[in-house]
Amino acid sequence: MLMLKMFFQAVAIVALAPLVQGFIQWCKAHLQNRRGPAPWQPYLTLFKLLSKDMVIARTASWLTGVAPFACFGAAFAVAGLAPVAPEPVGGVADLFLIVYLFGLSRFIMALAGLDTGNSFAGMGSSREMYLAVLVEPAFLLAILAAAGAAGATELGVMASDAGAHPFTLPYVLSAVAFFIVMIAECGRIPVDNPDTHLELTMFQEAMLLEYSGRYLALLQWSIYVRQLVMIILFAELFFPWNWTSMIPAELFWMVCKVFVLGLLLAIAETSTAKMRLFRLPNFLAASGLLSLLALVAR
Amino acid sequence: MSRVEPFFLFQSTIGLLVAGSLLAIVTSWRPTIANWISHGLAAAGCIVMIILAWKIFGQSQPEHFFVGRWLHSGVVTFRIDALAAFFLLLLGIVGAASAIYAIGYTTEHYSPRYFILPTLFNLFLLSLFLVVTASHIGVFLIVWELMTLTSLFLILYEYEHSANIRAGFVYVVMTHIGTAFIIGAFFILAKSAGSLSFQMLGGTALTEQSRNLVFVFAFIGFGTKAGIIPLHIWLPKAHPAAPSHVSALLSGVMLKMAIYGMCRFYLEFLGVGPTWWGVLVMSFGILSAFMGVLYALMENDIKRLLAYSSLENMGVILLGIGAGMVYASNHQTLLAGLAWSAALYHVFNHAIFKSLLFMGAGSVVRAVGSREMDTMGGLIHRMPYTAMVFLVGSAAISALPPLNGFVSEWMTLQALFFLPTAIPGLAGKMFGAFLFITLGMTAAIVAACFVKTFGITFLARPRTKKAENAKEASWVSIFPMAALALACIGLGAWPPFLLQLTNRIIGSYAGVSTEGLFQQEWRGTVFQADPAFGILSVNSVVVLVSIGCLIAVILYFLQGKPLKEIQEVWACGIVPTYRNQYTSMGFSKPVRWAFRWVLRTQRERIVDENENRYVGRKLAYHQTIHYIFDEAFYNPIQHWILRRANYVKRLQAGSVQLYVGYILIVTIVVLVWSSRN
Repeated sequence: MLMLKMFFQAVAIVALAPLVQGFIQWCKAHLQNRRGPAPWQPYLTLFKLLSKDMVIARTASWLTGVAPFACFGAAFAVAGLAPVAPEPVGGVADLFLIVYLFGLSRFIMALAGLDTGNSFAGMGSSREMYLAVLVEPAFLLAILAAAGAAGATELGVMASDAGAHPFTLPYVLSAVAFFIVMIAECGRIPVDNPDTHLELTMFQEAMLLEYSGRYLALLQWSIYVRQLVMIILFAELFFPWNWTSMIPAELFWMVCKVFVLGLLLAIAETSTAKMRLFRLPNFLAASGLLSLLALVAR
Repeated sequence: MSRVEPFFLFQSTIGLLVAGSLLAIVTSWRPTIANWISHGLAAAGCIVMIILAWKIFGQSQPEHFFVGRWLHSGVVTFRIDALAAFFLLLLGIVGAASAIYAIGYTTEHYSPRYFILPTLFNLFLLSLFLVVTASHIGVFLIVWELMTLTSLFLILYEYEHSANIRAGFVYVVMTHIGTAFIIGAFFILAKSAGSLSFQMLGGTALTEQSRNLVFVFAFIGFGTKAGIIPLHIWLPKAHPAAPSHVSALLSGVMLKMAIYGMCRFYLEFLGVGPTWWGVLVMSFGILSAFMGVLYALMENDIKRLLAYSSLENMGVILLGIGAGMVYASNHQTLLAGLAWSAALYHVFNHAIFKSLLFMGAGSVVRAVGSREMDTMGGLIHRMPYTAMVFLVGSAAISALPPLNGFVSEWMTLQALFFLPTAIPGLAGKMFGAFLFITLGMTAAIVAACFVKTFGITFLARPRTKKAENAKEASWVSIFPMAALALACIGLGAWPPFLLQLTNRIIGSYAGVSTEGLFQQEWRGTVFQADPAFGILSVNSVVVLVSIGCLIAVILYFLQGKPLKEIQEVWACGIVPTYRNQYTSMGFSKPVRWAFRWVLRTQRERIVDENENRYVGRKLAYHQTIHYIFDEAFYNPIQHWILRRANYVKRLQAGSVQLYVGYILIVTIVVLVWSSRN
């Protein structure tokens, strides 16, 4: 039963992830006084890419071919574990598991970036692993504040505890901390810029530089899925407004929250400028400090 | 099948290993024969060890083997209990793998003195075997020393390189300092227990002070052998110096002997201690973990990188041990059980993937002829099988689910997560959070480190001619690596197998308990230590990832089979060469920059500006990092000793009369001393 729920949840999240990405882009375009593409544009792009042939680098090994499938698989697993209407007891999803599954797709993508010997892709891999060094502790710490209050790292327990104590000081502090982590993990301004391939912003996009066609579609899609899962984590743990494990109501509120958070991300992205690579430690240290405050305030 | 006596297995292990070392000498005139016979016997001995360990796990009582009577000091026995059997199992698996690997790998060492290598290898395995089984202080110290010496000779096998001699020297000095502390710890225990037998040492009535002293001595003594920072300086020098199949044993098993010693002392002999013991162990654990991996990432020498990464793993193990001690002293027996399980699980994991990685590195170094990663590249095309197993090892050590590294990392994180329940107040919260995030950061650096190792070594274009013409290792070498890679996957996807063994060990000691701690449910492995609990659902993840991959395949083929056009790498219009690729040093640059306050990086750039200022300049770039422990701690000590030695030199003036005078003075002093009453 639980397995079935996880499966359908994963399918739903995978299906909706491009829409959320499109929505954020749409909001951003409107905030910047542009018309921009429609929110469903990512579907069209993915569909187009999925029908295209591919150009493969001469130096590429089998790793280039395996990486998109592995990344998609990992993203699918994360989507299945994401806490949508979780059972307060007897769940499956553990927080560390999700953090390390994110690590798994990052590991694979960084290797795929190095596979062809493309210097830009190598730069992307190097920077992405550097970013991980900064993000992962901030991620764990932000969540520790919430998990510490709940007394377990199982997501269902954490979500129900957050629902029982909505918007108390520790949760608010760690929410801000987690928001910073979310920006970094989704590869958005001020950490990375998902819209360009410019050298300055070469993180995730740079690692995909040698990819085209169907492989690219799968990788892009898995990036969208990871973004949506981050948003859902935020919505469930730090935005516990009207939290319930009743499925229809919870689903409705969840969708609303996801779109509100998408809008927030777009606003955050529009109102800040890209940060220098070596300023990132300070940015993520701010997140870490907020989490520490949350721990103290508990 | 008739019942095979454990004592028979014990004897046959010793017999096989002794035969292996002797036959290598006998057949020294034909290296090929010496290689096959000697390493074959070593592998057989290791397989017997595995069977022996398995038999001990099957029975409820530890096995005692009476060997002889030692003058004045009681009965010499060997004993294999669950703890020893666990380390025996690990030794058997890693030993057998590296012995088989050696058959293919050591062919490049064929020379008139080749026979020394398998002889010492067998003796080294024998000494490791005896260290685990000895249960008498005298015997233990002798075989402990035997282990140090055989490994020293193995490290010095390629003595032509002066760096190796230096490595051996540092190794010997450091481990002897460690051994002195171990002897001290044993001495205090034995004096109070009135026996040299391990069975009598447990739970002896020590005063508070001497108990603390034993703890500290054992920690320094075994910590030196484990290479915890700041006692680590020998490790990154010594481990890479040995031939790679020996490096695999050094990192995979010999370091674990130190953990074995700590387990004996902290679980069995000393029992539950005060909280600060655990806090101390964890503090050094996190220091080793973080600094070890940071140095590993900065390293460009593949074997030295792996050696530094061993420091990190020993740190993670110490975190588990320390947390276990803290919980035990706070009477949280189940959480203590969880933490100790995490430590032991990681002991096993590290043995497996580190030996796998060392073997893989050995094959690569052999094929390329250099340990510098910046001379490699593109080996995935030439050495596909080695690349595949190395990738599994890299992913496992980076603690990626669903491989075995993740299981122990998860358990360690859980053990740290509940730390505030054992240490009350803000201090506990902050200490827990500090350990927690540092471990998280460490894990991320490990991932960066092994992306670099695999990416620079195996991917992209070859950087040298030798890398271009590299040959795949022989199947005898690949087979044991593949077996270890399978073990990485198996221990990751099915944790209960190893957990039932660790439960057996931990459950029998005071202060820790594993009673109903782990339950295997369909959704994963659950640990339940009221009110703490957690769920490790690796199996669900395996199912989900497979479904996800399947969906990806469906999406991929949804609109027919795509055409793949092979083209040059895109580099803004030029055809890039290997010089356009990221290098090992370049890859770690951002992290080096972020942590320059610990690493004390110094770079030196020499630009020849005599020619054209913009194109075709000659450019040299050096990057050095300063090892703060060496510079702040060891170098001053070394200088101090050398300066004092200069004064002592005056005593040795070279005149015989003076020496006769010394002898006279000493004789008089001794006479006066002995006739004092």
